[in-house]
Amino acid sequence: MKIVKRGSETAARLYADHRLRNGLEVLRYRLLGAEIDKGLLFKLFVYVILINVAFIYIKPILYMVTTMVKDAQNILDPTVIWVPRTIFLGHLQQASEMLNYGKSFLISISLASSVAVLQVFSCAIAGYAFARLDFPFKKVWGALLLFTFIMPPQITILPSIMLFKEFGWLNTFLPMVVPAIFGHGLKGAMFVIIYRSFYSTLPKELDEAARMDGAGPFRMFFRVMFPISRSATVVVVLFSFVWNWNDFYFPSLFMFTAENVPLSITLARMAGEMKLAEGAGEITVYAEAIKMAASFLIIMPLLVVYLFAQRWFIEGVERTGLVE
Amino acid sequence: MRFNRKLESATLRKLEGSLFIAPWVFGFMVFVAFPLGYSLYMSFHQVKITVSSVNYTFIGLSHYREILIANGSLLYEELFPFLRESAMMIPIILVFSLLVAILLNLRFPGRTLFRVIFFLPVIFSSGQIVQEFIAQGEGSLSIMETLRIDYYLREYVPGGWAAPIQKVMSSFVLVLWYSGVQILIFLAGRQTLPAAVYEASRIDGSGPWNTFWKITLPGLVPYIFLNLMYTVVDLFTFPSNPIVSRVNTSNYGSSSALAWIYFLIILTVVLLTLFLYSRVDKSLSGKR
Repeated sequence: MKIVKRGSETAARLYADHRLRNGLEVLRYRLLGAEIDKGLLFKLFVYVILINVAFIYIKPILYMVTTMVKDAQNILDPTVIWVPRTIFLGHLQQASEMLNYGKSFLISISLASSVAVLQVFSCAIAGYAFARLDFPFKKVWGALLLFTFIMPPQITILPSIMLFKEFGWLNTFLPMVVPAIFGHGLKGAMFVIIYRSFYSTLPKELDEAARMDGAGPFRMFFRVMFPISRSATVVVVLFSFVWNWNDFYFPSLFMFTAENVPLSITLARMAGEMKLAEGAGEITVYAEAIKMAASFLIIMPLLVVYLFAQRWFIEGVERTGLVE
Repeated sequence: MRFNRKLESATLRKLEGSLFIAPWVFGFMVFVAFPLGYSLYMSFHQVKITVSSVNYTFIGLSHYREILIANGSLLYEELFPFLRESAMMIPIILVFSLLVAILLNLRFPGRTLFRVIFFLPVIFSSGQIVQEFIAQGEGSLSIMETLRIDYYLREYVPGGWAAPIQKVMSSFVLVLWYSGVQILIFLAGRQTLPAAVYEASRIDGSGPWNTFWKITLPGLVPYIFLNLMYTVVDLFTFPSNPIVSRVNTSNYGSSSALAWIYFLIILTVVLLTLFLYSRVDKSLSGKR
């Protein structure tokens, strides 16, 4: 009798235990999920982090946009912090006049896009050679590629100025464009490295198959390798375009007395003028609004390009089948 | 006969490779190697530029002596705080961008929107624009003031470090702003990891935590290294960096010497990371 009772007690305890464990399991499943991206707790955590960081990134842009549309009344009104009562576009107009926007915009866009196109081709070829081809002293050149990557441009800037002066290239775009033809230029080494790491992840069978089909190295590169590197290409085009668009350092040293300068230089010149005016006692409440309007005018084309390229970026990545 | 043919094809391949790398090598010679040698040459000379010609007077190491010893304030007063700042910024940037990249790689509603937003820093942080934002005080976090972090720092942290920590804290947003490229590199790196491996680990019953430490992180080691290098180089060569802005055309000789000293410092840091990386890589490949 006793034994049976004890047995049923154990069974009951076991059963309760089992239910509890089951409940915990279900709870755990709901909260943490079977996979990392399925749990409720995890999703909450993800969104909290993402939204916070997104806010940090967006805030200056909001500030820029709201400041530039404030007229005098809104600027002086302390109750207006974020949302102005009226929208005033005069600052934008004034900023675009000060920046000489039409001309500088064309210069910036032709400079940045030509460098981007050249860098994509030259860096893809170099990256491909580094990743999959054999040539004499490959290790030495690989080390020199890394060296170029870590070398600050400041160390070669002075001799470069002298060199380009010798060529008669100062105050033209050639100092920015010509190095790009050879896979150098602004952050060229990084783009070569991006392509190199992309090409070295591809399976070896790929070139063997192409070789069996009788494709020569050039044909193989342009028909097989370059087209499948689309995701790397989108990244490189985007980076190259954006960085060349924003770059102030090289143009300021290579084209310092030029009349036709890209937007980054006109912005710096404009800031200088405004500082001078401020120093001369012309204090204006508009200074900040105009500065923000100018910043907006410079950033806006990039934002447009980027919003367009973002689609390509994801699409490119997904087409190559790299995404889960 | 067979041996001959094999040799021939090997030479042919080398020839093809040389053809592909030739433009880059040529560019390297003209735009990197030559200016590099020339700047080294100038750093040992007093350079005087006249209208018709450039005159060089050999003065040996005196530019270096001037910068390193005689007028040390130029370098040390700005260099050491900057190095301390970087020592803190680099890990923050790396961990933050890794976290964000992994989150962005997950599937959730609104992923595209977040990707759009998280790439914004790449557009902003490279230009003059970011300078404007810093000037407007957009770089600070208000939470630092509410928690009175400044006070605790001054109280408990040894002298040389308090100011750089404070500076990093006060420009914490800026640190996050520098992470755009790193996020993208990690994102791209994460996508090179094959989905099949993740599927296999899922079938084997490994949880998300284990999957991260055993698969994702080791797989990302080359990209962590790439990002580390990138962050170091980016921080050290940013045109608004205190030391970089001193390299200008006012005095070619002494500017070149400064650039070289600075470069040797960067090289030391990078070699150190390279050494660390090789150690990490070796210990990981031992496990694999």
